[in-house]
Amino acid sequence: MAEAIQKKLKGEVEKYSQMQKDVSKGVSARQKLETQLAENNIVKEELDLLDITNTVYKLIGPVLVKQDLDEAKATVTKRLEYINGEIQRYEALLKDLEKKSEQHREVLSSLQQEFQKAQGLAVGKV
Amino acid sequence: MAEKGKMNKEHLGGVVRLREEHQKVVKDCESRMQHWKKVSGDYDTLNNRLKTLPDQLSYDITVPFGPLAFMPGKLVHTNEVTALLGDNWFAKVSAKQAQKIVSHRMKYMKNELDDLSKTAKDFEARVGLAEDLENISPGKGDYVDIREDARNIEAAVNKGRQRTAHKPNSKPKFDAMLDLKEENEENEEEAEDGGSRKCTITEEELWAKLDELEKLEQLEDEQDRLCDSADMNGEDTSSLSSEEEKDGDAAPSVNGLSLKPSRTSAPHSKAPPFTDRKPEGDDDEEEEGNRLPTIFFSHAMEPKKVRINTGKNTMLKFSERKEQKEHSKRKKKNGHSHHELHKITTPVDIYRLFVDVKNGEPIPRKSILKSRSRENSVCSDTSESSAADFEERRMVGRSFSHDEATHSDTSDGITEEDSPTAVPLHHASRFEAFSGTVVEKDPMPSAVPHLTIAPPALPTILERKQEEVAPDIAPPQEAPKRVSKFKAARLQQK
Repeated sequence: MAEAIQKKLKGEVEKYSQMQKDVSKGVSARQKLETQLAENNIVKEELDLLDITNTVYKLIGPVLVKQDLDEAKATVTKRLEYINGEIQRYEALLKDLEKKSEQHREVLSSLQQEFQKAQGLAVGKV
Repeated sequence: MAEKGKMNKEHLGGVVRLREEHQKVVKDCESRMQHWKKVSGDYDTLNNRLKTLPDQLSYDITVPFGPLAFMPGKLVHTNEVTALLGDNWFAKVSAKQAQKIVSHRMKYMKNELDDLSKTAKDFEARVGLAEDLENISPGKGDYVDIREDARNIEAAVNKGRQRTAHKPNSKPKFDAMLDLKEENEENEEEAEDGGSRKCTITEEELWAKLDELEKLEQLEDEQDRLCDSADMNGEDTSSLSSEEEKDGDAAPSVNGLSLKPSRTSAPHSKAPPFTDRKPEGDDDEEEEGNRLPTIFFSHAMEPKKVRINTGKNTMLKFSERKEQKEHSKRKKKNGHSHHELHKITTPVDIYRLFVDVKNGEPIPRKSILKSRSRENSVCSDTSESSAADFEERRMVGRSFSHDEATHSDTSDGITEEDSPTAVPLHHASRFEAFSGTVVEKDPMPSAVPHLTIAPPALPTILERKQEEVAPDIAPPQEAPKRVSKFKAARLQQK
């Protein structure tokens, strides 16, 4: 009886750790997106500071490619929007993961209690 | 004190950890601030450089050539600066424009620094609080922990008695019914013994009874709504059952007392709630009946309706009113038989009360908990299966079961109007055989007969009856066989 519970407990613990990993992954991804968001904001603002006489380049690999100022501005704006959308998606995902992990935690605690009881019984018997 | 010590230890551990976490955050903030400060310094120098760069058309410099070598060279196009805007975007700008960009970035950095410093301050404060907490727990310092036991709330909630959740078929419901009856009795008791009994009932029990009364009132409402007429026949059986339950309760229950002997013959209805009580209560109360002095009490309150859960998804509704109705109905027609009934000297006499019709053969009454017998019982069977049957048989059953051949439901209405006061007198006289005059539960004695007499019990009693009782009662029954009332009546008629 105790052994079965122990096995169950192990399985649940693994699942839970997996969930935790997912959660942390989601969190880090969101953080990255946050920094990108900030950076792109700065870029946008700085581009606004420039005028048409300045040539804008984009670094693609080892190459600096000339870009139009307006094009650059548009591209940056689009990228900003994209990043915002990604952030929202990740937030929703994180929420979901959190809920699931909570449930899992409860399951784990109950299993632990059972296990302890069984352990106690075993000890008593012995 | 030990508990306090334990709590302090745990508390202390938690507080220590809290403090450590706070300190971590503070350290993190500080490191970031350092970083930003460095960057800020770098930007300052850059700014300066940009300021001075366009001063000359070209500069002679020593250009680093790989990691180990330098080369003399010239710095040209001093006003043209390719600035990294971020995210792999570059812009060729003049030195001045570059300066603008730099100052813009510096602004952003300043914001970040300010935020970080705020967070650091915040967490430093928390760290201080945690330190204070640490000091409180072991008892040092000037802080005192004020605790207040919230036991009052518990008492209020429980109302003095621990209440546990019970399954529907378990005893406590009976307690409710019994308590209900007791309360009714209490209200009208006049004898000393009744008074003494009141004293024994503690405040806590009163509270519990009040709660149960509330429940019963709700049940009553439901009953009224559901089946008013259908309940007619349910009275007697339920009254008996409720009485049974009462018996199990406080010993000096006169009601139970007077009925106890009558109930011994009543076979133990198979309903789970009853069986537990009966064997215990019967022995006690029978003995007590002899010892206890007279207890007089009258019951004038509006009778309550009570539900008995007999399992199998059925509920027997007990209504005192209906009991009375039934009783009074029976009384009307059975005036002559009362003389006989009054003389109860042997158990056989009691048995007489429990048979339906004595027109030639005493038809034993079935248990109210068996679906067939419900039509005649005071209890109304709320189960779906028997509901239809119940409706059908109601009219028929009445004509058979009751001595006064009541014919319609209207008669019930009439009987309802009967004042209960008239009835008690009958009962009082009827029970003279016992030590005390019981005015209270009028319909009960008559209702009791309605109730459950399992067929197996009949043969033995029947034999006795044959021996002792006048031969006016012919036993045409095939005693061992289960005969429905209708069949028996039909046989009778034949």
